[in-house]
Amino acid sequence: MQLARKEEIFAKDGNKTYSLMAIVEGESLHVERGPENTVQTWPHLMVRELLLFLVVLLAILGVSLLFNAPLEEAANPLHSTNPAKAPWYFVGIQELVSYSAFLGGILVPAAIVVGLLLLPYLDRSPKGIGVWFSADRKLANTLFTVFVVAMVVLIFIGQFLRGPNWIIRWPW
Amino acid sequence: MNDATYSVKDAIKQLPTNIKQSFTRREAGTAEQEQAATVFGNLFLHLHPVRVHANALRPSYTMGLGLISFFLFLILVVSGILVMFYYTPSTELAYRNMKDLEFAVSFGIVLRNIHRWSAHAMVAMVFLHMCRVFYTGAYKAPREFNWVIGVCLLLVTLFLSFTGYLLPWDQLAFWAVTVGSNIASYMPWIGDKIRFLMLGGNEVGQMALLRFYVMHVALLPLVAVVLVGVHFWRIRKDGGLSRPTEE
Repeated sequence: MQLARKEEIFAKDGNKTYSLMAIVEGESLHVERGPENTVQTWPHLMVRELLLFLVVLLAILGVSLLFNAPLEEAANPLHSTNPAKAPWYFVGIQELVSYSAFLGGILVPAAIVVGLLLLPYLDRSPKGIGVWFSADRKLANTLFTVFVVAMVVLIFIGQFLRGPNWIIRWPW
Repeated sequence: MNDATYSVKDAIKQLPTNIKQSFTRREAGTAEQEQAATVFGNLFLHLHPVRVHANALRPSYTMGLGLISFFLFLILVVSGILVMFYYTPSTELAYRNMKDLEFAVSFGIVLRNIHRWSAHAMVAMVFLHMCRVFYTGAYKAPREFNWVIGVCLLLVTLFLSFTGYLLPWDQLAFWAVTVGSNIASYMPWIGDKIRFLMLGGNEVGQMALLRFYVMHVALLPLVAVVLVGVHFWRIRKDGGLSRPTEE
């Protein structure tokens, strides 16, 4: 970051003369940085983006060389697997369905989607923008964390603790 | 009339310069002008502004999660097209195609692995990206609608992954989709109808495989591309990435 900014100082042009024209009151000291603290997209942002792409590609290639994607026997509609599990991201919902079909199948998914869609229209306070875990948003952060933890716990139970006939068992 | 003479000799001399200029739409300028032109003179890069706020470059702020999701999507498109060359959406052939990828096609198993693991990773990354946006309060005005588009993209990602889950036509695929489509049928009144529409029948069979295939390779990717385009465009229109108010 430091390097990026250093290149961005507006260098003196040898063909121009400079003099003090006016002193203005500003909100901040613009020392060693460009107007509004911005940098050129090319190269500073683009190079980072390309690097990130390489990292993602390498990670996926590495994993793909080491681990094979699961493939079981050919589908047989007459022979159900026990337990039959949904893909992992729906297993949390499946776990809820095992308590109550209406709760897990309708109420919770609908509440999650509608809640997420309405969120920015319900939370109108401009406080805490641009800051991780802002202290001004304790309630919002707590509620969202409860939601995330609940999802992860449900998926964990469904994926690892449910054995044949959907009975709780240890994962080993 | 124009008095300038156009000689073929000069044209040949200036050939490399002229071809380069016509390709990049760019004339020589200062270093900074050329850097700016690199971005705004390029169809694929012009979604970026010419200058970005330094805050957008802080890895600890965004963790690059949205970008990682997008890169995974690109990897999925490319590997998905390659897998399509070897795949037939038929209950008779689909599973055999999987075995061919594993044992007959050069690097077929790696290709399938790339597609499978990128898909799982994308679901996880999109969710983590949503968490990042929430915890940094980045969904607040004026970025409310981009959050809404983001929620739609999360759903599209889930559906893309779910429709792809059936395609290998193995036991895992078949029963996972049976369970998944049963969840949809719990909806009051219209549940069974929705499941019928989804599967093209009352149970997972040839029609369901074809429907999931068409959704997976045509309809949903198209929706995803359009929504991603709007999502990126809105970032810029809404004033760049969210950042704390300046001291």
